Amino acid sequence: MKKKYNNLLIKFFSRPETPVLVFLFFLIFIISIFTSNFLTVANLKGILEQVVVISIIALAVNQVIYGAEIDISTGSLLAVCAFVYGLVAMETGGSWIALLASLLCGFIFGLFNGFLSTYGKVPSIIVTLGMLFILRGGLLLSNPGTVLNLIEPMRFFGMGNIFGLPVSIYCLIIVIIFYHFLSFNTLWGRNIIAIGGNPRAAVNIGLPINKVRMLSFVGSGTMCGFAAAVYLGQAGQIQATAATGFELKVIAAVVLGGTSIAGGRGSNFSPIVGALLVGVILNALTLNRIPPYYELFVLGLLILIAVSFDGFRRKLLEKDV
Amino acid sequence: MEDIVCILNNISKTFGENVFACKNVNLKLNCGEVIGLVGENGAGKSTVVKCLYGLHSPSSGSIVIADKEVLFKSPKDSEQHGVFFIPQELDLFPELTIIENLFIGKKIPRNWIGNFDWKVLEKQADEIFNNLGVSFDFYMPLKLLSAANAKLVEIARALINEAKIIIMDEPTAALTQKEVKKIFEIINNLKKKKVSFIYISHRLDEIFEIADSITVLRDGELIISDHKNKFTKSKLVQYMVGRPLDQIFYRTKNKIGKKILEVKHLSYENNFKEVNLELKKGEIVGLAGLIGAGRSELAQTIFGLRKYSSGEIYINEKKININSVNDAIKFGIAYLPEERRSQGLILPFTIIWNMTLSSIKNFTSFGYINNHEEIKFVKKSSEKFTIKGAKISSPVSQLSGGNQQKVLVAKTIATKPKIIILDEPTRGVDVGAKAEIYKIIDDLANQGNAILLISSELNEVISMSDRIYVMHEGKIKGEFQKNEFNAEKIASVSAGII
Repeated sequence: MKKKYNNLLIKFFSRPETPVLVFLFFLIFIISIFTSNFLTVANLKGILEQVVVISIIALAVNQVIYGAEIDISTGSLLAVCAFVYGLVAMETGGSWIALLASLLCGFIFGLFNGFLSTYGKVPSIIVTLGMLFILRGGLLLSNPGTVLNLIEPMRFFGMGNIFGLPVSIYCLIIVIIFYHFLSFNTLWGRNIIAIGGNPRAAVNIGLPINKVRMLSFVGSGTMCGFAAAVYLGQAGQIQATAATGFELKVIAAVVLGGTSIAGGRGSNFSPIVGALLVGVILNALTLNRIPPYYELFVLGLLILIAVSFDGFRRKLLEKDV
Repeated sequence: MEDIVCILNNISKTFGENVFACKNVNLKLNCGEVIGLVGENGAGKSTVVKCLYGLHSPSSGSIVIADKEVLFKSPKDSEQHGVFFIPQELDLFPELTIIENLFIGKKIPRNWIGNFDWKVLEKQADEIFNNLGVSFDFYMPLKLLSAANAKLVEIARALINEAKIIIMDEPTAALTQKEVKKIFEIINNLKKKKVSFIYISHRLDEIFEIADSITVLRDGELIISDHKNKFTKSKLVQYMVGRPLDQIFYRTKNKIGKKILEVKHLSYENNFKEVNLELKKGEIVGLAGLIGAGRSELAQTIFGLRKYSSGEIYINEKKININSVNDAIKFGIAYLPEERRSQGLILPFTIIWNMTLSSIKNFTSFGYINNHEEIKFVKKSSEKFTIKGAKISSPVSQLSGGNQQKVLVAKTIATKPKIIILDEPTRGVDVGAKAEIYKIIDDLANQGNAILLISSELNEVISMSDRIYVMHEGKIKGEFQKNEFNAEKIASVSAGII
């Protein structure tokens, strides 16, 4: 009985997202002591809603990182997709066609990123860095000073409620289930982790490396399109500089959650836990009226703490196993 | 007591609960002695050595060096006490020069401007290399050296740091006969200078040649430790395995069917030229030769990993084109790569995922993986291949080398191939696991598969094969039928003497 318990404990602690999860609960505990209105249903719901956008994209980028590639174009792509969503929504007056357009836009740019990074043989960090600048630049060129304002029916994915829960949360749950299913029940989901884990072995059994990796980029692009619908739905308005620097928060969420930046190792819960951690901290800063420019500072500190904690944990595990 | 440089007292090392990597090991190393440390893979040789070298801290027991009990927290501590470890693979820095490698980790004297004073170091290095009887250009990057010379640099580095005990793990794995002789000469010289050695090797001939005494480990425990004259080769193997030698090689008679694969005039760049060979159903064909003869390249070409520049491949008398690995798999060819860790397995993956890596399509309908079927298959295979040491849901990296290899074999044949190319299927695998792998290969042939067995162990090729091709410098230089097998002849053909 004791042994079984121990095994479970070891299994739990060898999961990549565990240290951050422990840290997250610890943090929530500390914050709730100092902040009176932190542990309220309304506030927690607020945090959840806040992390939906980052989580959705981080889940997709998590797959790219599994395959030992990276996508840093998501900030600009999110903004572009949000613009597409906004423009189409204003034409049609509803949310659904706009969503389709936004998804399509993300899909196309994801495909482009993926194609260049794999068949084009350009390192993905360079491809997506270029894409990051091109998209942002394009946005600033074509819409300088434009602010889109959306009205209620176009903001379904950010403002809507079904059975008392925000639609955005449902969106996140769908994406979580989708990626969990991909990883455990589909060829593609397994292949992408295999390729990141040992590319030589993947070649030796004839895995379609380029195709699998390219699809991971298509995923991250398309999810930018999906997240854009939520993002714009929540914000209600957008200008050309929106979501600047967002791509790094996405990577931060993935890495914080314990997915290895070198590929092949990680978990689909990593980005969620990482995003929640970011969300909780930002929320605590706001509640305690700490000026927003502390945000980046704290975030950076957090990454360093989390990563060092992970090293410490590994040392403990190595001693034991 | 003066003669004894190092004593291990009841060294035990446990990983997790009740998993002993080594248990109550006692060892005495005399001044100027060479201990040959032998045992199957996973017998605990490296664990014992790592405890001595400070890479592991022993769970219980003590280490005494020069009459003083010591506690090593890291290799740096042990090196200060004169204990050096030379691992199987190169442990130095290929991009740095020889002299930089020699003095790495040491304080380097500076001249009056503040630059490193290489002149002083050169003198030291010169002295050491003279003692070893070799000379190098000190400013050559280490990567340009041959494996043997790199080994010498590692020995020299130990000597510069006044090593008293040098631990060598499979030092001759990548060396030629001549280079091995040179290394042995040096070891014998150093013995006279009161340097002691712990020499780990799978090659028993070498152990008998170089060691003064032999220590056998099995399942983490010390079985016997005695002067080498007290052992015979078969006795030693018995101690290692716990069962007699003649059971290790296993080949049952079987029927050989009609021709299934034929290769005509196959060439690939400069690696091999005009290769002709054929495989029949139910036949094990050995491919002997030295490392670098082009055997692996030939195998990889047949498997579609390389594009052949000319030649033809026939399967069942029909000419086919193999342009990719997937083509090869479709024609029923499977290939087991020689380096299981870097080319075969995905180490962070579980045993389940590794084993079905190549055959996952069999458990998939419309892209949906049937996990239940998959686990059922893996359970069956791991029982069949007696994979022991970890649960199938744990990472494959937790298994010992032999069991990892069995997972790789299981993975390779999971695609239900008809033609199986095995590239060094028993490399770095202990004797017990070898026997099990031989049995698996034998079974595969009995089921009517054609097997191409690439192996650098002559004994293995001769006992397993029905027919042998010998390759030398990219060409097939000889073909031997079962009744013509002759170790000397095959060895001389692969060396290019005949």
